[in-house]
Amino acid sequence: MKIIVCLKQVPKNDSVLRINEQGTWIQDRDLTYEINESDAYGLEAALQLKEKHGGEVIALSLGPARVQSVIKEALARGADRGIHLEDTAFDNLDAYGIGTAIAAATKAEGFDLLLTGLQSDDYGFAQTGVIAAELLGLPHTTIVMDVELNDAGLRVKRELENGFFQWVNMPAPAVLTIQSGINTLRYATLKGIMAAKKKEIKKLDAATLGIDAASLAPRMEFRRIYLPQKNKQTQFIEGSAGDIAAKLIDKLKNEARVF
Amino acid sequence: MDFDLSKAQKLLQQSSRDFFVRECKPERVRELMATETAYDESLWRAIADQGWTGLIIPEEYGGLGLGLVDLVAVVEEMGRACLPGPFLSTLWAAALIERAGSEGQRKQYLEPISAGDLKATVALLEEEADWNPAAVTMRAEKDGKTFKLRGRKEYVTDAAVADVIICVARDNDGLVFLPVEKGARGVKITPMSGLDQTRKLYSVDFDDVAIQEADALAFTTKPQDAFEAATDIANVAICAEMVGLMQWTLDATVDYAKTRQQFGRSIGIYQAVQHQCADMYLMTESARSAAYYAAWTVSENDPAAKLAVSVAKSYCSDGAREVGNRGVQVHGGIGFTWEHNIHLYYKRAKSSEIMFGDANYHREKVASKVIDEAD
Repeated sequence: MKIIVCLKQVPKNDSVLRINEQGTWIQDRDLTYEINESDAYGLEAALQLKEKHGGEVIALSLGPARVQSVIKEALARGADRGIHLEDTAFDNLDAYGIGTAIAAATKAEGFDLLLTGLQSDDYGFAQTGVIAAELLGLPHTTIVMDVELNDAGLRVKRELENGFFQWVNMPAPAVLTIQSGINTLRYATLKGIMAAKKKEIKKLDAATLGIDAASLAPRMEFRRIYLPQKNKQTQFIEGSAGDIAAKLIDKLKNEARVF
Repeated sequence: MDFDLSKAQKLLQQSSRDFFVRECKPERVRELMATETAYDESLWRAIADQGWTGLIIPEEYGGLGLGLVDLVAVVEEMGRACLPGPFLSTLWAAALIERAGSEGQRKQYLEPISAGDLKATVALLEEEADWNPAAVTMRAEKDGKTFKLRGRKEYVTDAAVADVIICVARDNDGLVFLPVEKGARGVKITPMSGLDQTRKLYSVDFDDVAIQEADALAFTTKPQDAFEAATDIANVAICAEMVGLMQWTLDATVDYAKTRQQFGRSIGIYQAVQHQCADMYLMTESARSAAYYAAWTVSENDPAAKLAVSVAKSYCSDGAREVGNRGVQVHGGIGFTWEHNIHLYYKRAKSSEIMFGDANYHREKVASKVIDEAD
């Protein structure tokens, strides 16, 4: 089975975030980066499928030169080779543009399974995998908790709301977006890090993929982003004990939303 | 000139940091230090699976043959996690076996050490607790083709979990290194009380313990040089570990200074606290530079290696203790409680301060190199 895993490089979750001078996104000059959380679970799911059924795992990432570090980390964890989509035309893409580039690259490569994380930790659109699937004309399933292979293709467990799950049978090739926390992530071992040095990372640009840069123009723009305002206030609830309890419950439920 | 870690080394460092955050949480450290040996087989196995037990062991003996800079990138993270267990002891013993053992002995010991199947330690210190191997008085008496060991070694780290203890003794020709297997007749291992409960110390009594002459690590005509070279590696490793301790203490202290409110303001706003934190940062970064430089010089067989090792150990010994002092000071009352983790790091810093020689011991070595050898 040939599995391609899309890995996005995102700011580390303990980064100190500052808004840039234009107010349109966070300053990226002081940030350190890591693999997007749900993508890391997608990579682990792919590696476990390969260990069980054989085949190949390819780590794919889009972005500037720095994103090679996430590809290398994936190679160190056990992926067989990498694909790096790098081009100035790929800068500042929206989900549609990223999905377009991924669809073009993965179509050219060919695969049985394309895995992405459920959503990215920075933008959180949860769109990229779905758009890539649509552009590829392939079936897809979102919020995947488990993947089994069978003679007919795939049997996939989806997370629904309120603790419910849904099992879906679907043909391969297919695109799955993986939920965080579905498996135990492995570490890059020393042997893996050593072996990764010899693994191939193929670079592809827009022209090689036959993508017209104009088609990637963002369909969405950030006008202004804001940091959440922190404040605290004290309210005194008066009345009888029963009234106070009822009002407190109402506030906790409907204002503070703690339950 | 680029002094930064390579991409692979950064990945190794990040991977080891992630590993210890998950596998060696402070609660686990506390559980282990409450045991007799502070040893966890599953944690040791996981460390071996990462390849770290064979990190600097040559490839022909099952290791990865990497350099000391790669090693310190990992060991710094071990220090940051206050890792209990026999990693440092085994590293020291492996370095000695590699330098003093025959080809057969290297295969016999280094291959299982690389695989994580064998743990080892070195028994050097005696009653005077002198780290200079010239101070070893314990006799290895020849009886035909057998050495007979009699006497006591003190402050032996991890002796209770070591599968082999390399005993440093003396015969008529000088130092000898005698591997004593676990359970050997005449060996008695007794726990010693120590400040740092995450690294257990033992006294080891040898009562006419017989070791075949052929089993002695004697594949060198300069046993003292071999011993010092192996101890240099252990020194570099403990310096890196101390850097990790210092970094944890600094991070915890700065975090505390930012969040602890006094008179309606964070205590970090006061210069008296800021100066402490700034000094801690200075000491941590300087210790890191000294430790990594020492690692590089030893790895490259640079002529300045011995000097760099002693500079690093003297600085790290003082620095780790001082960063611990100031960390506890900034934490105030909470820093004195059993519940806060800072005492784990402070005690490790205090025990590491004297291990392989304290700052004065190494400053004397520096003086000897710089002054005496120049004369």
